[in-house]
Parts: sequence; C-alpha cells; structure tokens
Amino acid sequence: MATKKSEEFDQVDWNEISRSGRFDLSINSIGMLVTTLPLVLLAVYDWQFLGERTPTFQFVGVDRGLESVDFFFIFTLLLAFWFLVLPLYQNPRMTRYYWKEFKQNRPAVVSLVWLGVVFVGGIVGPIVMDPPQQELLIAYQPPVFTSVVDTTPATCVGEVMNGRCYGTWEHPLGTTNAGKDVFTMIVYGMTISMQIAFITTTIVATIGISFGTLSAYAGGWVDEIMMRFVDIILSFPTFLMFLLILYIYGGGLGMFIVVFSLFAWGGTARYVRSKSLSISEEEFIKSSRISGASTYHVIRGHVVPNVASSIITQLTLLIPGFLLFEAQLAFLGIGDSTVPSWGQLISAGRSDLSFAPWIVLAPGIVLFLTILAFNFLGDALLDALNPEAEAENT
Amino acid sequence: MTEPLLSVRDLKKHYPIRKGLFNRQVGAARAVDGISFDIEQGETLGLVGESGCGKSTAANSVIHLEEPTAGEVIFNGNGREGATRNTDGTHPNDVTKFDDGELMEFRRGAQMIFQDPSSSFDPRMPIGNAVGELLKVHGMSDRHRRRAIVEDLLERVGLSANDFDRYPHEFSGGQKQRIALARALVLNPDLIIADEPVSALDVSIQAEILSLIDDLQEEFGLSLLFISHDMSVIRQICDRVAVMYLGEIVEIGPVEEIFTNPQHPYTEALLSSIPTPDPRAELGGIELRGTVPSPTNPPSGCRFHTRCHKVIQPEGVDIDQGDWRGLLNFREKVITGEIDIEQVRENVAGGGTEPTDSEVRAEVRREFDISETVDDPDLEETLSEAMNLLLEDNAEMAGEFLSEEITTPCAETEPGTTVHAPDHESACLRHESRAAAEPNPADD
Repeated sequence: MATKKSEEFDQVDWNEISRSGRFDLSINSIGMLVTTLPLVLLAVYDWQFLGERTPTFQFVGVDRGLESVDFFFIFTLLLAFWFLVLPLYQNPRMTRYYWKEFKQNRPAVVSLVWLGVVFVGGIVGPIVMDPPQQELLIAYQPPVFTSVVDTTPATCVGEVMNGRCYGTWEHPLGTTNAGKDVFTMIVYGMTISMQIAFITTTIVATIGISFGTLSAYAGGWVDEIMMRFVDIILSFPTFLMFLLILYIYGGGLGMFIVVFSLFAWGGTARYVRSKSLSISEEEFIKSSRISGASTYHVIRGHVVPNVASSIITQLTLLIPGFLLFEAQLAFLGIGDSTVPSWGQLISAGRSDLSFAPWIVLAPGIVLFLTILAFNFLGDALLDALNPEAEAENT
Repeated sequence: MTEPLLSVRDLKKHYPIRKGLFNRQVGAARAVDGISFDIEQGETLGLVGESGCGKSTAANSVIHLEEPTAGEVIFNGNGREGATRNTDGTHPNDVTKFDDGELMEFRRGAQMIFQDPSSSFDPRMPIGNAVGELLKVHGMSDRHRRRAIVEDLLERVGLSANDFDRYPHEFSGGQKQRIALARALVLNPDLIIADEPVSALDVSIQAEILSLIDDLQEEFGLSLLFISHDMSVIRQICDRVAVMYLGEIVEIGPVEEIFTNPQHPYTEALLSSIPTPDPRAELGGIELRGTVPSPTNPPSGCRFHTRCHKVIQPEGVDIDQGDWRGLLNFREKVITGEIDIEQVRENVAGGGTEPTDSEVRAEVRREFDISETVDDPDLEETLSEAMNLLLEDNAEMAGEFLSEEITTPCAETEPGTTVHAPDHESACLRHESRAAAEPNPADD
C-alpha cells in the first residue's frame, strides 16, 4: 500500500478496508484502562487479602491505608484526567477559545485559582503532612498574629506577654480543644471536600447522562415511565432516607456520598433529556446518521459531548450543595465523625465559640470561599461553554 | 449503460397522526405521496416546489434517513449495476429493503448536503474530524491516512489543509458549505442529494458554491438530486427538473423545456415568480390565490385545484376564468364557514350607516374578484341565491347549496400523466381532456 498513492478520497478501495479492524480505542480510553487496572488490582488486594486494620501499602513499608472512598476518588481522578484534562491538551484550539471566553470573568479566574489550591492541597496535603495529633497540652492555641488571655490554652506554645498568649507559625490557624492543629485539619478537610465533589459529580453525571439520553432516544412510553421515575427521584425525601440508613447500617462518608448522589441526578437527567432532544434535531446528527454511524456512535460521539459541556455548569453548581449538606450533617452530629471534614471541625468548635472562635471561623471561611468559588466557576462556565453565546459572538 | 443510477418508484412517506390514550392512529400527514423519477449517471435532477410540499421529506426517504411508507428506491451505483428484478417482483437494489451491511455500502454510494451550514457541523468537533468521521465509521482506522485524505479533499473544495483542526464557528457560511461538500464527497459517492444547499447563502457566495458543485460533478461524474425552491438556481445547475406540489410530482422534464414551455399551471406560476432583469418587462406574475392545503387532508382530485388559475369549468359553462376561480374560492370559503357576513357588513359600513344588501353583495364580489354579473345565467342565479342565504345568516344552507351547484372536474378526477415530449411529463386534467379529444375531433 505504501507504493500506491492512496491519500486521495477517490482512490480508496473500500472493499480492501476490512471491517474487522473497526475496534480501535482512542489514546484516552487506552490510558484509562491501563491506569485503572492497577487500581482495581490494588483494591481487590486490599479487600481480599489484607485484614481490616492492615494499611494498604504495608507491603512497601508505608503505613497508610486506603478506604473504599479513596479508591473511588482515585478512579474519578483518573477519569477526570483522561477525559477532561487530556482532551483539553489534545484540542489546543478549543481550549484557547474557551479560555479566552472564561478569563473575561475575573472572579471566576480567582475562584479557579482557589479551587486549584484546595484541589492540590487535598491531594498533596495528606501525603506530605502527618495527620493531626491529639495533644491536650497545647489545646486552644490562638492563630498566628492574634492573642488570647493566657488562661485559655493549657500551655502557650508562643510568647506570653502582658498575660496574653500569642499565636505562632507552628500552629498558623491555632489548635482545637484537643490540641489538633486547625491548619492541618483544614488541609485534610480539603481531601474530603474534593472526594465529595469528584465522586458525587461522577455518579450524578454517569446516571444523569445515561438516563437522560436513553429516555430521549427511547421515546414513547419508555420515555414517559423514565421521566415519571425522575419525578419520584426529585421528590424523594433524601434526608429521611439517609437517616433511616444511618440508623440501620450506620453512616460513613461513603454512605453519605452514595445516598445523596443517588438521589441527586433527577434534575441532570431531565436537563440531559431535553438537551438531547434538541440536539438530535440538528443537522449534524442527520449527517452523522447518513454516514452510516450507529445510534450508539451518534450518541457517544455527538450527543453526549454536546450535552456534557452544558451540564458541566449544572454539575458545578450541584457540588456546593453537597459540601454544605455534609457540613450541616456534621453540625447536627450525624455526619461521619471519623473523617476530618470541615463540617466536623466546625461542629467540634461550636461549644468553644465564645473564647476560641478560630476553630469555627477558619474552616467556616474556607467552606464559604469554596462554595462561593464553585458558584462563580459555574456561572463563568455557563458563559464560556454555552453554544448560544458562541453563536452570538461569531 | 441505459439503466439509471437512481430510480424512485411510487415513493410514499406518511407521518401517522396519533391521538388519545392508546395512541390510535387517526390520520396521516401525506408528506410525500407517490413520487417517481429517475436520475441518470452524471445527471442533475432538480426538485422544486414551495416550502412544505415534501421536497426534504422526499430527500430523506430516498437517502433512507427516514423509512419510507411505501415505494421503491432502486440504487444502481456501487458496482451493483445490471441487476434484474427477482421473480417475486422485488428489486435486489431496492434501498428500502437493504439489510444493515448493504445499507452501509449504500452510504458510501449516496451522501447528502444540508441546507443550514451553521447547524450541519458539530460545534465541538474540528471540521477535519467531522469529515474524517465518515472514513472512520466505514472502517479506516489509520488516522494518518484519514488526515491525509481529508486534507487533500479540503484543498480540492477551496480550503486549506491547515483548516483541518479548526472549529465550525471559525468559518463563514460559504466555507462551511464547502466543508459540507467535502464531507459528502469523502466516501467517493455516485450520488449526492443536496437539500437547498445554497438557499441560506448570499447571492455572490451562491454562485461560487454552485460552480464548485458543477466542477466537482464534472470531475467525479457525480449524479445530483438538487432540491431548491429557487427556480433561477435550478436553471443554472440542473439538467432536468421535477416540480412538486403537496407531495406529488406535477411536472417533470428537461430544464429548458420546463422553462420555455411549462405545461402544468403550477409550473407556470412558479416560473412567473422569477424576477426578470428587464424593467420594461410586463409584470406577468401569476398570483396563486387561496390557501395552501394541509397534507393531512389533501384536496380531492387534482391537489392543485384549490389554487389553480386554470381550473377547468364544467361542461357547458364558459365564463371568464377569473370569475370561475373567484366562484370556486367563494364556494370553498362558504363551505368551510370562513366567510363572516357580519364582518363584511361592518367593513362596508365603515362606521357609517347600515349598508344595504346590494352593497354587501358588491363587496363580496369584489373580495373574490367576481365581476358584476357572471356570464352564465345559471351560475349568476346560483351566486345570488347563495348570497341571499348568507345574508339571512344561513351559511350552512348556502354551503350545501353551493357545493351542489358549483363543481369542477378537477376536484373529482385525479389527473394521470400526460407525455408532452420524450422525457417531459405532467399531470393535469387539461392535457388529458385535450389528448382524449384529439383522436375524435368530430365531437368538438
């Protein structure tokens, strides 16, 4: 074939091109498979061969355990890398275009930076920092640059001047009633928040997109039944359901994520359905169909990418809800008290609010900023990705 | 070879109308109702007609984007030439009966260009990938080869190879239509169906695209089914023309023949809509009056009779054609109850005194372009009688009365096709009666 000049469309011998070679995976899918495989193996190893209390990485001498939530979190990170970050790199033109649109929104850029900090902190923090240790002796240390009456902390780590204990860089955001370092706890809380954000988004997006496109393409009474089911999902009292499960099986972070995301995809599915219906009327869908592409190919190659870019906004706006809800549950004392989430920290500090406000304020402000950042980001993404807005600009 | 590349026989596409709890079918919109035509190798057939007459549905059914309700689409390209009919009367090349594998092959033989350049490309896919997608779907897994082919093709349609990675929003409408052409060409088809490919473009861009289509057609020996509502575009590019009205082909013939010697009244009306560059030319536009009928409930007989300016008068009647048309319109309006005599009264009064009956009569006549007195005494009497009934607010009786008294053969008989010249056919009762009368001139 090398000798024959076959790079012109009218010289392609179609009978020669075999149909058997049609199974070709993109580099993204291959990368995903290759990276997921070790993860799955590790998870199976952890689940089957290691005892409940044995840290996962004991075989390399690292004393660190991975929970099922962690495995799932890593899986969603891989998904995000191979199907969100890498395509952005692969399509530099589109990326530049989106970035140009996106950066017009200043607060959103700041938000993105903040979320980047939270993300990197959440990933790197727990690896480089030791978990917060309980040290009752140094409880209630004030944050750096501030001071409290020196009777508040048991012993003051920093200087004591004029009867006031000053904060030090050793504990930049002070310590809790148990002497745990607030800054470390906030960094560990970033991990929890990112886990909530990524895992819920993945679950909601997967179910929402599949359910929505299926419903749109099935049509007829299948569509009708599926959408009524969505109505049920939307009107379901998730909180009561969560309480029920909590009292029967006991709750954990994983349980929280699963229960709440399993009842949160209703709106997404509805949105995806209406969007798919409108997209399937477009002429590029017709032209893809007359190219001989299967319905699956059309949905996977055209409908889902076009739907996805518009539901990214919706998903971004869904995350703050989850974060807030987690904090609320923690505050009510029915959250997962074994994880160092921001909500847990706030709830731990609420009884000391009168004399050690930093325990509540520091995580509270971080939580507030994160939620605000997600909202700004969602708004900016809506502007940057909205096809209608694109059409107006061109 | 004498067999045509594509031959469509009695193609029908009906959209069922469903109602009620159990989705019972209560009727059907007959978007395409039995059309037949052939396209030879390398030929361009134009399909004209006003919007809503079923042109696009016909195209979608031919290319099997939608399953036709009935009829045959015989495609003899792709090395399937010379097939003969099976013993049970079906044709081995009938696209409507293709299985998945054959349909896939058919996709390589026939492609389509759409009307709206802005929506015919996925906004999130570089155009090179959009064109190359077809190669990929058809099994070319070598992405470098795909890229080379698409880049070469982009250059052939007047773009540059660097455009491969650009996105649809970076192109103008005319450029997008060039890319659409590249996409239609990439599988090296024998037939391209172009559904109003230039109607969304500027006139100057139109000419460029049309000449590009022409060049490519010549270079690759393509056959084209060119759909348009614009007669001047059709004249520029087509070899033959089929004129469609309400799901049926009313006239088909060579383009020159149709333009110089139109046979069907509808074709005449369409042609008269082309603006002439001569300022002194007579404004001979034939204005089609009456409403466009719905394909759900097409008119009986000849479908055009409700708007035809040459609608036939019954035997023994010979009045002014304008009056006759007016009478029929009047009848139609009365039967459907669309005429509101109170409204007419108010219009005549204009806020002044109560108008007399004769003034109202005159106004109704004016509205329907019927002259003071109709030449035929019987018809004149019928008309006055109907108006009396109307003035007595008895519209129902008037309708019944009119539907009995005023009839046209056009509403009763479905016209067959009349051959005027080789390859030139039309479906109009006027020709049929003429043809029938000719062998026996003594009757006249």
